[in-house]
Amino acid sequence: MSFALDPGSFTFLTGPSGAGKSTLLKLVFMAERPSRGLISLFGRDLAILKRAELPSLRRRLGVVFQEFRLLDHLSAFDNVALPLRLAGHRPADYLRDVEELLSWVGLGERMHHKPATLSGGEQQRVAIARAVVAKPDLLLADEPTGNVDPDMGERLIRLFVELNRFGTTVMIATHDRALIESTRAREIRLIDGRLIEMRGAS
Amino acid sequence: MKRALPEKGERRRIGVLPREQGAAALDLVIGVMAFLAALALGGVLIANRSAESWQAGLAGRLTVQILPQGQAAPEKEVDAAVKLLQSTPGVVYAGPLSDADNLALVEPWLGRDAIVTALPFPKLIDVRLAPGATPDIARLERRLKTASPHAVLDDHRRWIGRLRNTANTVVLSAFAILALIALATAATVAFATRAGLAAHREIVELLHLMGAQDRFIARAFEWHYFLAALIAAVCGAAFAAGAFLSAGGLEQFGLASVSFLPPLGPAA
Repeated sequence: MSFALDPGSFTFLTGPSGAGKSTLLKLVFMAERPSRGLISLFGRDLAILKRAELPSLRRRLGVVFQEFRLLDHLSAFDNVALPLRLAGHRPADYLRDVEELLSWVGLGERMHHKPATLSGGEQQRVAIARAVVAKPDLLLADEPTGNVDPDMGERLIRLFVELNRFGTTVMIATHDRALIESTRAREIRLIDGRLIEMRGAS
Repeated sequence: MKRALPEKGERRRIGVLPREQGAAALDLVIGVMAFLAALALGGVLIANRSAESWQAGLAGRLTVQILPQGQAAPEKEVDAAVKLLQSTPGVVYAGPLSDADNLALVEPWLGRDAIVTALPFPKLIDVRLAPGATPDIARLERRLKTASPHAVLDDHRRWIGRLRNTANTVVLSAFAILALIALATAATVAFATRAGLAAHREIVELLHLMGAQDRFIARAFEWHYFLAALIAAVCGAAFAAGAFLSAGGLEQFGLASVSFLPPLGPAA
């Protein structure tokens, strides 16, 4: 199978559980290496990439992990600010952006809570905020609305759409039909090791 | 927002790693090591200073003994020796010790009994040299022998040499102990860091996925353990300082005075 994401495109990746959606995403954000096949990201062949080149490439990615993977000892604010810190920004420069983003995802009042005191849905929103805060070139999200109610799901999809409008390529792995129907974006379906084009880009 | 602005980048730089459970054990080890190291170092300083002050007290001084013949040293020989010494270039003072001085010298060992006063004491002649004077000791001894056959010249060289040896031994063993402590501490910290690296695998992997450079992560670890070690070490050293101060305090009250050596000669 083979597929490509055009720069600035918006794609849903669907398919039954266990079809390999998460694995496919992991291969793209370089958490796993392919045993064979070619993956090229931003025009670079990942197989021949040097270790020293990884960080700068990864910083162009935003990833919403299925299991969130927040740092438990940091507050929601610090978790969201982490990509900016890693990129070398100073707290004074990103303070307002991070606070604004957290307010947008409905966590304005709870931004100084640690993940353990946040609900699953709240943790998920922190994870999403962290993935989008640095305005990545490519956003990969694994079931980003699995733990939130439909209203919040809609709010989050608007966040992704907004991000996409400013040039970020978005790929979302999801089961959520409502989410998929809410936009007219491309949908590709992964099933039995094959990719099926369900709906072309609008 | 109600929240105050984060002051500086520094405070936020530290927090990438959580403080793991059991970290207190490492702090304790480092604290104890620092305590022991400070004690060893203090030992070195004390040994060095004592040796130097003893040496300074003895340098520039000679002692001549006129051995007793029968009950007392022959007066004539004493006079001749004193005269000879006084006329020797470089000597600023030469004078015999009184019987009372003699008794004071042996008192720490023998006490002050009637029987002690009856002992046949040699006559001691205290000789002080001009600062920097280096008289020919061998020649002076020969001349003394002719003027006063029962005279013995002591320039304290053997005594000072032994003192120096003792002090050097103390200093060397203290340094060896310091080296051992440093080695053990380094090994402990290395081990703890490795364990910490394993414990924080999740975080390290996540940071990598988020585009953290190896350098950033390494620095976070270094900083994390450096800070813990620094705090523990300062505590240990502070305890050691406290120990020295309280020992010094006891000494002042005469409770723990280290008087294993009697005073050398009469007070100048």
